[in-house]
Amino acid sequence: MLLTPGVLAAQRRAAGEYEVKAAYLYNFAKFVEWPAAAFESERSPLVFCVVGQDPFGDSLQAVLGNEKIGQRELMVLKARSIDDPEVCHVLFASRSERARFDQVLAPVRDAGVLTVGDADGFLEAGGLVELTLDGERVRFEINGPAAERSPLKISSRLLRLARIVAPGPPGR
Amino acid sequence: MLRNVPVRQKLVLIVMLASGSALLLASAGLIAFDFVRFRTEMAEDLASTGRMIAANSTAAASFRDEDAAYDTLESLRARPTIVEAAIYDDEGGLLAVYPRSAGASVPARPAAGVPPPEPALVVFEPIRHQGESLGTVYLRGDPAPLYERLRLQAVTVMLVLVVAALAALLVSSGLQRVISSPIQDLAELARAVSERRDYSLRATKHGADELGQLVDAFNGMLAQIQERDTALLEAKADLERRVGERTRELQAELAERRRAEALLERSNAELAQSNKELDDFAYVASHDLKEPLRGLHNYSLFLLEDYGEKLDADGRAKLETLVRLCRRMESLIDSLLHYSRVGRVDLAIGKVDLNDTLAGVLDSLGINLEAERVEVRIPRPLPTVRADRARVGEIFRNLISNAVKYNDKPEKWVEIGCENGAGRPPVFWVRDNGIGIPEKHHDAVFRIFKRLHARDKFGGGTGAGLTIVKKIVERHDGQVWVESTPGAGTTVYFTLEKGKPT
Repeated sequence: MLLTPGVLAAQRRAAGEYEVKAAYLYNFAKFVEWPAAAFESERSPLVFCVVGQDPFGDSLQAVLGNEKIGQRELMVLKARSIDDPEVCHVLFASRSERARFDQVLAPVRDAGVLTVGDADGFLEAGGLVELTLDGERVRFEINGPAAERSPLKISSRLLRLARIVAPGPPGR
Repeated sequence: MLRNVPVRQKLVLIVMLASGSALLLASAGLIAFDFVRFRTEMAEDLASTGRMIAANSTAAASFRDEDAAYDTLESLRARPTIVEAAIYDDEGGLLAVYPRSAGASVPARPAAGVPPPEPALVVFEPIRHQGESLGTVYLRGDPAPLYERLRLQAVTVMLVLVVAALAALLVSSGLQRVISSPIQDLAELARAVSERRDYSLRATKHGADELGQLVDAFNGMLAQIQERDTALLEAKADLERRVGERTRELQAELAERRRAEALLERSNAELAQSNKELDDFAYVASHDLKEPLRGLHNYSLFLLEDYGEKLDADGRAKLETLVRLCRRMESLIDSLLHYSRVGRVDLAIGKVDLNDTLAGVLDSLGINLEAERVEVRIPRPLPTVRADRARVGEIFRNLISNAVKYNDKPEKWVEIGCENGAGRPPVFWVRDNGIGIPEKHHDAVFRIFKRLHARDKFGGGTGAGLTIVKKIVERHDGQVWVESTPGAGTTVYFTLEKGKPT
């Protein structure tokens, strides 16, 4: 938690957009419970995957680097595409993958992976959380039906902060 | 201050003060207890509310979501006792303030761990999620209900106190009689006793407690006083009776004495009268007797001279006896006359130098004394006294004559002296070494014409000398008496003024 507060505090000072979003990823992880099967052991790390062109730079690594959630260390995996997306617990789909969200999300749909994106149509493609901008402020929407189907337990506290939406069928 | 208040009121006051203070203390204790308990409850309530808010604002704090944080605080609207609240992020930055208008009054930064000043109800509750500190919730409760409750309780206690005081007044007014009425009775009885001095009164006993004992003791004292009073009254009556008796006795004695005095006075007067009459009679009789006696004497002498030769010896002897008896008769009458004169004629009282008087007497007796060879002794000079000079000379002449006359010693002496006693009349004496007088005759020698010896013995005499001495001494209010040893001598003592001699 050395950099995160600084980053969040910086949001009020119009800090870098992806610094804030990195902190959000970390915060989402705090309010979500994964099924026990998602980990090999109680000490297995929580893995954050960034798919596509990485917009965070070093900021995600900076936020998560020295943090733990419970007993779990936090790890970042970056790839243009992920061969085995089931390794991931939090999956951030970059805007660069906008055209192939379905492909990206298909392997992890309803599979206990918290999928986060920041591009329009992410929820419609079956994503769970979409980061939006309200002026300079970062907010998020949660795909209500998908969240209900998911084996993840999303804390009501988190749900209370989010805008819950029920997106139409994918593809416009 | 309370000292002069009646016992009755004191008792009521004591009961009311005691019950009032007990009630007040108990109420104060209860109120204090309740105050602390209620405050603790409020603090706990505040703390649990704080925990609830903290639990509900973890996400809001995490995401620095001010709107969500305010929404969480908005839930406090249902809790009017919480006047202000705030949520801080984990850096202490203010996220939300409730109500919105309280922005200025909430602390700028959380001050968890610093105890708020009493009695403010303030809570700083950390916002935690999975062991991680995410921020702080601040709540401030309104202590007004606490004070409202306190005020209500105080009012209630006051009301209860007033009611209880009234009840205590009623109860103690009734019960105080148990103690005060015996005391009042006793006080009234004591007053009645001291005012009326009626010691037969008794106090009524109400019970066997200390007051009962007091009543018993009081009654005992009254009984004793009554006993003593009665005894005192009896003693007084007895004393009065005895005084009365004694007074009557004294009055009777006094009357008796007065009667006796009157009697004595009368008999004294009668005696004086008869003495005077006797003196007058003696004078008249002796004076009148002298003349025929003179005739008898003279005619007897004429008979002897003119007819003596015609008578035989026997006849002459009888005539001579007649003459001698006439002379004797004359001397007796002279003595009687003299005696009566001493009794009748007033004394010529003046200063008398007894030494001069005695010298005169001894002069006139001079021839006699020389003839008898009598030694006259005067050991000390005699004093000067107030007396009748001639009569006092007569006393000494008579006594010295007697001393010389009744003396058979070859060497005769007469001693004249005086003894001065302090405060007493001087006693004079004439002492001789003559034949003496037996004691049984000590009174008889003063009787007129009383002679202890034959007519022709010791030079004869009429036997009036000592009688005349006694008369003169008595007319000077003095006394005369005799001391004598028969055969050894006689002392005649006399005084010349009133008073008991030594």
